[in-house]
Amino acid sequence: MAVHPLFALAKPATDKFGPRTGILTIERDGSGVHHQTETPALLTATSRGIVPHLSRDHLHISPAIQHVQLPFESFINKTPPVPTLVDGAHPLHKFLGYSPERHILTMTLRDPSDGRKMPPNGNDFVSAHCTRGVRKVTASTWKTYVQKCKPDIVVALSDTPFTLPPHSQKRLTKSIERSIAWLSNILKVLTVSSTPDANTRPRHVLLHLAGGAIPDARAEFADRLTDPIERRDAAELAPLNTLDDGVAGYVFDLLPLRAALEAESQPARDEGDLAGGLLRVSDRHRSSPESSSSLAGLLQSSLQVLPPGKPRILNSPASPHEVLRLVRDVGVDLVDSFWAQRAADMGIALDFRFPIPDGSVSTPSGCAPPRKRKNGRLDLGHNLFDSPYIHDHGRLASSLLDGQSATTSDGDQPVCGCTACSPRSPAARLLHSTIDSQAWQDAACPTSPNAAQPPVTRAYVHHLLHTHEMSAHGLLAMHNISVFSAFLAGIRSVLARDDSVAEFAREVTRFEEAYDEELGLWDEAEEMWLLVERARGKGRLAREKEKQAHSTIGTAVDI
Amino acid sequence: MPVATQAAIKGLTPQQVEALGVNLILNNTYHLNLRPGIEVLKEAGGAHKFQGLTVGPRVGEAMWRTVRWLDRCIEFHQSSGKDDVQNLFAIVQGGLDPDLRDQCLDEMIARKDKVAGYAIGGLSGGEEKEIFWRVIKQCADKLPEDRPRYSMGIGFAEDLLVCVALGVDMADCVFPTRTARFGVALTSNGPLNLRLSKHATDMSPIEAGCPCPTCASGTSRAILHHNITLETAAAHAITQHNLVFQARVMGGARDAIMNGTFPDYLKTFFAKFFGDAGYPEWCVNALRSVGVDLLEGRPDVKVNPGDYAKWEYSDAV
Repeated sequence: MAVHPLFALAKPATDKFGPRTGILTIERDGSGVHHQTETPALLTATSRGIVPHLSRDHLHISPAIQHVQLPFESFINKTPPVPTLVDGAHPLHKFLGYSPERHILTMTLRDPSDGRKMPPNGNDFVSAHCTRGVRKVTASTWKTYVQKCKPDIVVALSDTPFTLPPHSQKRLTKSIERSIAWLSNILKVLTVSSTPDANTRPRHVLLHLAGGAIPDARAEFADRLTDPIERRDAAELAPLNTLDDGVAGYVFDLLPLRAALEAESQPARDEGDLAGGLLRVSDRHRSSPESSSSLAGLLQSSLQVLPPGKPRILNSPASPHEVLRLVRDVGVDLVDSFWAQRAADMGIALDFRFPIPDGSVSTPSGCAPPRKRKNGRLDLGHNLFDSPYIHDHGRLASSLLDGQSATTSDGDQPVCGCTACSPRSPAARLLHSTIDSQAWQDAACPTSPNAAQPPVTRAYVHHLLHTHEMSAHGLLAMHNISVFSAFLAGIRSVLARDDSVAEFAREVTRFEEAYDEELGLWDEAEEMWLLVERARGKGRLAREKEKQAHSTIGTAVDI
Repeated sequence: MPVATQAAIKGLTPQQVEALGVNLILNNTYHLNLRPGIEVLKEAGGAHKFQGLTVGPRVGEAMWRTVRWLDRCIEFHQSSGKDDVQNLFAIVQGGLDPDLRDQCLDEMIARKDKVAGYAIGGLSGGEEKEIFWRVIKQCADKLPEDRPRYSMGIGFAEDLLVCVALGVDMADCVFPTRTARFGVALTSNGPLNLRLSKHATDMSPIEAGCPCPTCASGTSRAILHHNITLETAAAHAITQHNLVFQARVMGGARDAIMNGTFPDYLKTFFAKFFGDAGYPEWCVNALRSVGVDLLEGRPDVKVNPGDYAKWEYSDAV
């Protein structure tokens, strides 16, 4: 069976490291249909199988969501996990509501944005989280799940320690051994097998590059990948010559790397200060030119001996600045949007642009740009919890147009296509009786389907946040994913210019000078968000649940 | 008429609600006056634009105060210059006391030319169902035919249908949206508590044939069970379904009334919804008062006394 390669660089790589563009291609079984994505591209983060806060109809009208990363661990509270019970050519798509035509699913065991301390992994298992606590998943079990779920792309198990850093040389050696063995396991096709499923190799296997924060260890891991396969494994791994031949792309989880780098410079932080579990470890991570440079060095030490033509996937970058530097100094092709999505949880509407337009950032009337910090740099968005937004009736992002005003604008300012900024009247309305069509014939109420409607305002989202309305987070999640996607599109547009490497470096510097990397806005948003979260209180929720259980009749009073 | 107390149907955008075929939404002026406040709403050009909508001895004291308030409301409404785009409804109060209700009805009917419709208030506060339906009937019987009647805070499907049978035109309730957030999906066979572990591997939709976005996209009970109370999106999915369920119950009633088949519609609904669990006695009594006998031709059906409502309790695992 001819398998279309997952990735192709736009231009043959002249340097191992540096900014690059390419195309990710997924060929659907037998259909001849290809799904293609231009890179660098966005990889949407999910929780419990779904994009947080998005109903399925919203998922399907979010054009920025194409590549989706699915941590599987929430499903291992049941044996066998429920998604493995689904039939069809695309069980994961079907079960979780993704479209095989539009969505490319990458299945991974652990959530790369979850930096919590974990019990140690073993020689044959990874410790993973589910609602019933920590469970062990072996390499063979993982392979079975993958074979049943048929994701488009799968990440091989890897042994990343989530015990407190720093980790010893001995621990990293073990990590390398295990990760190699587990990769070999998922690539092996049993020569004698009772079930047909066990006789297929997953089409596209991604590999997390191990070795932690020690360059030599990372280089050694890469060396092991490119070693000729041992004779005793040759039959089951045929036609591969090296394990790397079976690897479709390389994954970099930045969260554990940042933790390890931090542990080198300061004592490991206790997780106890994470506001009683309301915050994530990653919420406190910040990037800087220095930290990006350290990370770039580590990524390079892995990639030095590996072929440049395979896609590089970046998980949990801490800022757009960090993404830009890693694109510039290493070359990455798929970037997860967890950072942008997490900002939506905290009430932040992203508002930034790359490249920054020539001249000054224009200020369209009626839509205020983000605030300028004392360091002279702009915030990357708006903390909509904040009181200045009570009376702000502008759209969410000043740097991108909304759908309705784009129709009257003659500039080339990009449009935010999210449902908050470019809402449309429904394509269709359900009719529940023969006279329902009359209900929509009011002259004051436009009835044409898919008509552009005014954008959601900052004042409205501010109101929703303060009244604990969940819609706030849905609107912000769609918006932030869209802004992050526009950011990656901006990267691609600069890389399409002549003299792209120099141009890109110039634009990165302009961006670094314009936007605040310290994320002071995040600190403020976190504080306000925690106040609101605590005000909601668990006790009250529990009482509401009890009340609901004994509910006799509804009332017109809100929870 | 689903409830958007704070200018949002919980978790949904106005466009999503419109797609469900729902064009009546209740906002609470009390809450909106607290937040975002009248200034913000004025700046935005009104509550519709703000949320992106494209439309439209104590008891006696309270009753008389309501009448006095109505007069002040009428005066304000007529001088507001908005009486051509906004409709003022009177709320009939009087608690559970038939005499007070009657006095209140007389007073409010006397002001008929100045109000667009009548709400029936002061119910859904935990009163006995036998008393509840009698108050509704008393009000519906006396209110003028050419004004819509709106029962406040009515949400269970059987309550809605009984109210319609007694002559009510509309109702509001947080029930379909609130119960959704706790994992209860409404179906024509009764409520389903998706938190129960029996749904964990059930690949069927909430209700086959349901046109709501959740069922139509094949969302299984299993994935809803996996995420309910843990992910907001599961609440959104069940909210969308429950709103469509309520809208279908009422849409079916509209068609049946126009076709002259409403008694059959009621019988079919109750037989399916309550089935072997039995009918609430108060529903049987209420519908008999308007000439519909749910038990006709069904001698074996169980009848449950008191305030029985069908429910899958969530304390089970």
